[in-house]
Amino acid sequence: MKMITEVLIIGGGATGVGIARDLSWRGIPSILIEKGDFASGASGRNHGLLHSGGRYAVTDPGAARECMAENRILRKIAPHCIEETDGLFVSLPEDGFDYRERFLRACDEVGIQTALLSRDETLELEPELDPNLLSAVKVPDGSIDPFVLILENARDAEEHGAKILLHTEMTSLILDGDKIKEVGAKDLGGGEEYTIKASYIVNATGAWANQFLKLAGLQIGMALSKGSMLITNQRLTHHVINRCRPPSDGDIVVPNHTVSILGTTSVRLEEVENFEVTPHEVSLLIQETSKLVPAIQEARLIRAYAGIRPLFQSETKEDDRAISRGFVLIDHGERDGIKNLITITGGKLVTYRLMAEKTSDLLCKKMGMHTPCSTHLKALPKANRPTGLTEKLKQFSFERVETLCDCELTSRKEVEEFLKTDKLKDLQDILHRTRLAKGSCQGGFCVYRLLGVLHDLRRINGNSNEFLKKFLEERWKGIRPILWGPAVKEEELMEGIYKGIFNL
Amino acid sequence: MNPCILEPLKERMHFDLIVIGMGLSGLMAAKTATEIGQKTLIIGKGMGSLCLFSNTIDVLGQLPNGIKMKDGLSHWIKDYPGHPYAKVGVEKIENALSSFLSLFPPPYPFQTIDHRNCLLPTGAGTFRPTYLIPITMVGGSLIKEGQTLFVGFKGFKDFYAQYVADQLKCRGVTLPLPNTSYEMTAIALSRLMEIKSFRENIGQEIKKHLRHETQVGFPAFLGLNHPIQVKENLEEMMGAQVFEIPILPPSIPGKRIFNRFKEWLIQKGVTFSLGSSVSKVITKGKRCEGIEVFHPPVTTSFFADRFILATGRFIGGGLRADREKVFEPICHLPVHQPRSREDWFEKNFFAGHSQPIHQAGILTDLSLRPVNERGDQILENVWISGTILANHHCIDEKSREGIEIATGYMAAKQASGIST
Repeated sequence: MKMITEVLIIGGGATGVGIARDLSWRGIPSILIEKGDFASGASGRNHGLLHSGGRYAVTDPGAARECMAENRILRKIAPHCIEETDGLFVSLPEDGFDYRERFLRACDEVGIQTALLSRDETLELEPELDPNLLSAVKVPDGSIDPFVLILENARDAEEHGAKILLHTEMTSLILDGDKIKEVGAKDLGGGEEYTIKASYIVNATGAWANQFLKLAGLQIGMALSKGSMLITNQRLTHHVINRCRPPSDGDIVVPNHTVSILGTTSVRLEEVENFEVTPHEVSLLIQETSKLVPAIQEARLIRAYAGIRPLFQSETKEDDRAISRGFVLIDHGERDGIKNLITITGGKLVTYRLMAEKTSDLLCKKMGMHTPCSTHLKALPKANRPTGLTEKLKQFSFERVETLCDCELTSRKEVEEFLKTDKLKDLQDILHRTRLAKGSCQGGFCVYRLLGVLHDLRRINGNSNEFLKKFLEERWKGIRPILWGPAVKEEELMEGIYKGIFNL
Repeated sequence: MNPCILEPLKERMHFDLIVIGMGLSGLMAAKTATEIGQKTLIIGKGMGSLCLFSNTIDVLGQLPNGIKMKDGLSHWIKDYPGHPYAKVGVEKIENALSSFLSLFPPPYPFQTIDHRNCLLPTGAGTFRPTYLIPITMVGGSLIKEGQTLFVGFKGFKDFYAQYVADQLKCRGVTLPLPNTSYEMTAIALSRLMEIKSFRENIGQEIKKHLRHETQVGFPAFLGLNHPIQVKENLEEMMGAQVFEIPILPPSIPGKRIFNRFKEWLIQKGVTFSLGSSVSKVITKGKRCEGIEVFHPPVTTSFFADRFILATGRFIGGGLRADREKVFEPICHLPVHQPRSREDWFEKNFFAGHSQPIHQAGILTDLSLRPVNERGDQILENVWISGTILANHHCIDEKSREGIEIATGYMAAKQASGIST
């Protein structure tokens, strides 16, 4: 099939869908292609922190300012994706007060509101913290659900004319002089092939930026840094807990829905696929985060996972184009003579909107247009809906509902609703779009049930045990690094079911 | 306290044998010891994996198709001299299974299909080899493409008829359930199935859906106490053979086994203490003298001449793992195990062979008494039975119930001084 559009965006992470939304509001047609599902890369593999900018206040005031500004905007346009937890920067005895003083001054300079709390005040807010702490600084951190945020951006973009093709991989790229003439793509589900002609092409592939650029014979200086995280089976604190010291491994605990996320590490990688969380990283994260919250030593972990941060290495002659150390926008027309190609990479989840704005501004400039950005003013579609939990609890207490996932209270009805509205190419998509498989058993029960419901509704009729096995194998990657204590019981139960009762 | 009061109390608390653990192995040990005439206490926190995984009695499902179980076991014992079966021996395994069978006379007997493994359908629409099957499942070994109607229930989330039917190229039907204020679990449905009017509604409804099918497959919840009545009544109404299919835990057929043991043991005067976990074992030198059970704020002590430890693996609480090692929390026996945590699990879930941690467990001598890696006896009046034993892979071997029954039987015989 042949398609023609103004802008072709490659990559369905926060940045890609953010650009699609931004352009759609400016009335510029676009097509976005993504080889997996939304948020398959770093956008979906982070600790879900709504940065206040505090973490960068001392080391990178520019990035801190951006974070703070975007933090304020996201609270307005995406309140349903955010939990306003606030954050604490906790000073432990070994940290002393030096960093805290620099931190307070720096926050003040970049406009991050702070409140200094005494030991007793801090412990009253967060009784699980180490009682020996010295003090804490309160900042407007929060937690954010990246997947919902991205889905909402995508929905809004589509409502305003953007076209999004998931599970569609770019297969070829045809250069014609100083321009990319067309791009070939393939639907990985149905097998259909597309030829897409676009006036401009945006490379929003994050850590995969160089894999894309290679097709055009280009390369940028980029390092890949793996960050690993652990998930506990319950929420350990109410606030985001940071360590008040220079950024380091294992210095953050983020509450997120029913769990807490312990982060992070930083390990340089050579390739963007096939990475895992090592036992050393698991030990390090527990050792460091438990200094803040001692209960982590005994906490039950339900999963380990990792994401890859694409870190732009500044090229001397390109330095001025790096908008900040946070993210980088490259006009390949100026840099390499390919006039209709732009790469946007790096950055933080919290600045995705700003990255989209700057990219769209550059596109408009190239097109000679003067339509301003409006994404900071327009709320996302479901922004006024009350946030989930209260509604959900009401539903569960007044009606008898068939739950598929007992850990996260996901009902059969919710799945059926999704099936009505979304055209799904991959079962994994349903897992991304619901809380299924995100609780303590990590899908040990509910994925079988999901398959059962799909058979029941005649949405599938094939060999589902192959999917089940694939899912269990994928699940294993996140579980294997944290198997000790009660998690071993869970593991024995799962093997007893799938290898035992079901003989898979 | 006055010693005159204390003395008879202590006597009441003294037994010939204390069995710790109330899974299939502990129950089997208690039954065997009771038959020999031992004054027995069986104490357990819960029902072990019996009510999770046990639907039928696996002995060695891993055997190649068509081999007689007795021959398969003989070869197995030669090939794996460290396996629990090797310590029991083929003859005593058979005796143990007979003893188990004797507890289940009609109307709910267990049987083999020609003393070989047979294949039964599962809740995932796969087939699974197993050995002794309850009469409610026999029909499953006969299914043919297109000949079976699978029945599921909307609102019961642990079985999906169409899932099974699609895998086995048969038809499935999902029936509505009446609205109730409680969740439709397997336990709830097994009780409802015993109510005649409920069952008859279901039978009539299914009859409308039957076309050429000669069999009807249900999830395994056809009654907790009277499954045969339920099965036969449904068969009569529908004019088709009814059978049960093993599903996600909990296992109703496992609960039937548990209930039968419990009934028998209590009837024979065994002291039966469910819901209590042993907090401490009192030892003196190489002898175990008693156990303590802590019910906050009271600690009760029980004493015995001999003990059987049948506490299961991780789920049962017989083994625990911290970040460094696997340990046995009650008697602090050494646990045979892979060298470090990194070696516990393979990189793949379906690794093509069992995960290494599953062969961790307690080493014993030939009489099932615990030993260390050098083979030195650790406790002289304690015997080990069930899945806590080292050197088996009961999940992959499909040998769980067989190991539990055989070693429970053998441990009780040994502990009662009957070694032949």
